[in-house]
Amino acid sequence: MNRFAYARAETWSQARDLLGDRRFSLPVLKGGGLDLVDQMKEGILEPDLLVDVRGAGAVGEDGQRRGEQPEPIRMSDRWGRPLVSITPSATLAEIAASPLVRERAAALAQAAESAATPQVRNVATIAGNLLQRPRCWYFRHDEFNCLKKGGSTCFAVDGENAYHAIFGGGPCHIVHPSNVACAMAALGGYVDGFGVPDEARSIEGLFHLPDQGVRTEHNLPAGAVLTHIGVEPWAVSGFHAIKAKQSFDWPLAMAAVGLRVEGGRIASARVCAGAVAPVPWMLPDVAGALVGVSTDDDLAIERACAGAAQGAAPMSQNGYKARLLPVAVQRAVLRALGRLAEELA
Amino acid sequence: MIPTPTTNRPINAGQSLADDIDRLDAVAKVTGRAKYSRDQYLANGLFACLIRCPIGAGTLESIDLDSARAVPGVVEVECEAGAAGQYHGHNVGVLVAESPLAMKRGMRALRPRWRRGAFTTTIDESNPTPEEPSEQTRSILDRGPRRLTATYTTEVQTHSPLETHGAVVDHRGDSATVYSSTQGTFAARDGLDEPLGLPRARYEVVCEYVGGGFGSKLNGPGKEGVTAARLSAKHRRPVYLFVNRGEDHLDTGNRPSSRTQVDIAFGEDGTIHGGQVSTWGGVGVSRGGGGVNIPSGRYSLGTIQKTHNDVQTNAGAPRPFRAPGHPQGAFAEEMVIEEVAGALNLDPLALRQRLETSDERRRMMDVGADLIGWRDRRRNGEQTGIVRRGFGMGVTSWPRFPAQAEGEVVINRDASIEVRTGTQDIGTGMRTVAAVVACHELGVPVDRCNVRIGSSNLPPGPGSGGSMTTPNTAPAIAAAARDAKRRFLEWVAQREGADASEFDIRGGEVLRHNEPYADMTTLTARLPDSITGRGESNRQTLQREQGSGHSDGVQFAEVSVDTQTGVVRVKRIVAIQSCGLVVARKLAESQIIGGVIQGVSYALFEHKVLDRNTGTMVNPNLEWYKVAGTDDMPHIEPVLWSDGQDSVRPLGEPPTIPTSGAIACAVLNAIGWPVRSLPLTPDRVLAALDARAAHERLERRGPVDGAVNGDADRGMPGGGR
Repeated sequence: MNRFAYARAETWSQARDLLGDRRFSLPVLKGGGLDLVDQMKEGILEPDLLVDVRGAGAVGEDGQRRGEQPEPIRMSDRWGRPLVSITPSATLAEIAASPLVRERAAALAQAAESAATPQVRNVATIAGNLLQRPRCWYFRHDEFNCLKKGGSTCFAVDGENAYHAIFGGGPCHIVHPSNVACAMAALGGYVDGFGVPDEARSIEGLFHLPDQGVRTEHNLPAGAVLTHIGVEPWAVSGFHAIKAKQSFDWPLAMAAVGLRVEGGRIASARVCAGAVAPVPWMLPDVAGALVGVSTDDDLAIERACAGAAQGAAPMSQNGYKARLLPVAVQRAVLRALGRLAEELA
Repeated sequence: MIPTPTTNRPINAGQSLADDIDRLDAVAKVTGRAKYSRDQYLANGLFACLIRCPIGAGTLESIDLDSARAVPGVVEVECEAGAAGQYHGHNVGVLVAESPLAMKRGMRALRPRWRRGAFTTTIDESNPTPEEPSEQTRSILDRGPRRLTATYTTEVQTHSPLETHGAVVDHRGDSATVYSSTQGTFAARDGLDEPLGLPRARYEVVCEYVGGGFGSKLNGPGKEGVTAARLSAKHRRPVYLFVNRGEDHLDTGNRPSSRTQVDIAFGEDGTIHGGQVSTWGGVGVSRGGGGVNIPSGRYSLGTIQKTHNDVQTNAGAPRPFRAPGHPQGAFAEEMVIEEVAGALNLDPLALRQRLETSDERRRMMDVGADLIGWRDRRRNGEQTGIVRRGFGMGVTSWPRFPAQAEGEVVINRDASIEVRTGTQDIGTGMRTVAAVVACHELGVPVDRCNVRIGSSNLPPGPGSGGSMTTPNTAPAIAAAARDAKRRFLEWVAQREGADASEFDIRGGEVLRHNEPYADMTTLTARLPDSITGRGESNRQTLQREQGSGHSDGVQFAEVSVDTQTGVVRVKRIVAIQSCGLVVARKLAESQIIGGVIQGVSYALFEHKVLDRNTGTMVNPNLEWYKVAGTDDMPHIEPVLWSDGQDSVRPLGEPPTIPTSGAIACAVLNAIGWPVRSLPLTPDRVLAALDARAAHERLERRGPVDGAVNGDADRGMPGGGR
């Protein structure tokens, strides 16, 4: 790890200004620092300035220290409609425990709660979780100069690809690692801030597939600072991750759903899959198939979710993910409806 | 789920010298006060790092030594172009620097270029083929009447101790101190005179605490220690050489992979007539060490033609790993029994009772079956729910190996007690064991005692291998304590002109004719000098107990299998283990629990993955090299079994032998189809469920010939018990 400067931003604009400081060649934002420090140790990223934004927002943009910090999680109508609004530096533990999120965006609370370990969740921020780099074992390995690092090969294609993508892969086959991104995409999530292009404000627009640029996963330009994160409120939503290991493991497949229920039937749905594609992978066909399904008809729910892996293109070792995905979606639906059996949770 | 309470007491009128004592160094360990060798950052120290081959095989075409030497803080680089690397992690040079940062920068500046060579990573690439069956084997197999052919495989497991491998060596010119992370203080000492250039009397190996080893730190000082010693001798400065987590996976030993091919004949009543068992071990660049312990001798398997071959691959060599060769063999052996029982529709517990060669283990089976609730076990594959419950079991045994151990027990003039033995504590609780044994023999409270271990300047003790540290060290310390007590009481008696047999010590008080005589402190204050008792244990002193030190065990597992996801969760393990005389109950139970945990992790997760195209390990970390965590833990119920036993028995290795097999059998019971490869990952479990479904579709279409008899690798029908 190289020498670096460290600064604490008290306001978001201060963070933006520090990122633009020409004295530094690679300033980066630091939330919990989990992925950042990993990348610095792995030599993937060599910043010379860390701007810690965990305290940003404690001082108003007018420069006045606020009497009280604003609630990091609250209802707002920033985008012209009611949203569950979350400070980017809110921790996963705060999100998981927030009564507001649990009530109006349950899938997000469940996704946050399912990530990593209690120690990690206590420091990991939602923005950091959204924007973390993939966990692909070739990308993270300093002996493999993969496409993401400027090399010419995706080593997963003919290599060890049990944990790689079954959708949207090529030329690189990472899976997006974020639980939170999966849940936010399903619920209709937004980000905003300095330098955030309009088209990147939805979670679906925030990320791109490898064929749109293999060196990065998101569409934020250098120097951008997220200042607001929000999701649409849903009375009924759920998340489910399938993990081999129950402690500190990356999901093999996950899914999040938001459901509008009217008269005991699903009136509309949004469904997103995770850990199966380089981006949070929306499943509009499954969402469509869920419409009209009676909320107490297990068989109909199962049928509607059965096609979740349609169109998947597994590699040599990850075909099992196509088996897992419909199960993950089905369980997310049942969890949203409060009917997922304890032994399947 | 509220776990059922643990029995927590020796079964069958067992005894323990200290029922409730906590580990004496527990607070030091959890607060960080305990200094491990890896924590020894000495003033004016240098840092060394091994240069390694990054691929399965190759030749080092070029390396930029000049750039590395030009990095500020880099002291020297030893490496030559042309070096041959035979596996990822193969050590081809060393770099020395003033700081860890300079070391890393120097390593990066080397920019080595390797020309790739041909390599292999798996046993299968060697096209393993059983030898021709002998005439006798052929006749057994032909006679049948039933036959099981199956292949069982396991993956490479790395030791992954929390404290990685290495040493800090402080060579001061005419003497040296070596802080080694070792399982053998004295073996480490004996391997360092040459690299240090000093006679053994001039240096000390110190190893106060070890952060785990599991067999991988039995190799004397190791290449890390030898290299650090040589460099420290050269520079006359302390040299720190501890490998990082990634390197630890690559080149510090492992449990080798295995392949077991079974072709056996059995009768309708479950009698196994024999057949052929062929095993292979994937030993990396080693010439041996891949043995697979099947048949184990714990079951009557008839006449077995056994062959074993080690297969060389381009990977790090194995080292002893907690019961080397045993978990691999036990997994295959228990599955064979389970599959035979399934084919015959027999209760696998009843079949094991029949085939079992030990009455003691048979009795353990009765107790264990009761504790796990075997009566709730359903027939193989009978359940139809999404989540299915399964029960399985396995057995274990271990001999007691004699070793030379010496100890000293000192009674000081302030009545404090000092126990000295040079053996190390790899985490099993040697300090506590030594204090409990000495104080028990002396008749004084444990809080009067201080234990000094982990130094080559102390009386020699055994290496921590073969589960022999406590069985051999405890008798030596007990003998030393008896010796000290005898000397002390003789001195007391002499002052009175009485006979020493009139006196005794209890609770720190000296008794005469069983009546209070004097406080021990009052008497020791008058001692002319401290009293030192000496004791030893070796092959001769253990002779009279020969045959009595054997350790048996039986384990039962309850699992749940999610048939939609293939995820296996281990719910409970009941682990019954011979323990003889228990020194400290919590520590003994902890040994059993630790063995089970390692077995659970082996059964479900652990897998060193080498990239097929480069031979490079893709998961040299604890993120993708998956090790069981807290939420993966079953409720573990250790049962200390001491029926008719005396003497301290081996507890380190035996409890990890049967766990993975018991879990695999429980999965078979739950889903009605065998998963014949460890780890039991979701994809493998789903594949087994598919195989069962395909088999059942065939069955429905009409009678299938040879579905069981001689139908290689198609498994058994799922309908059995």
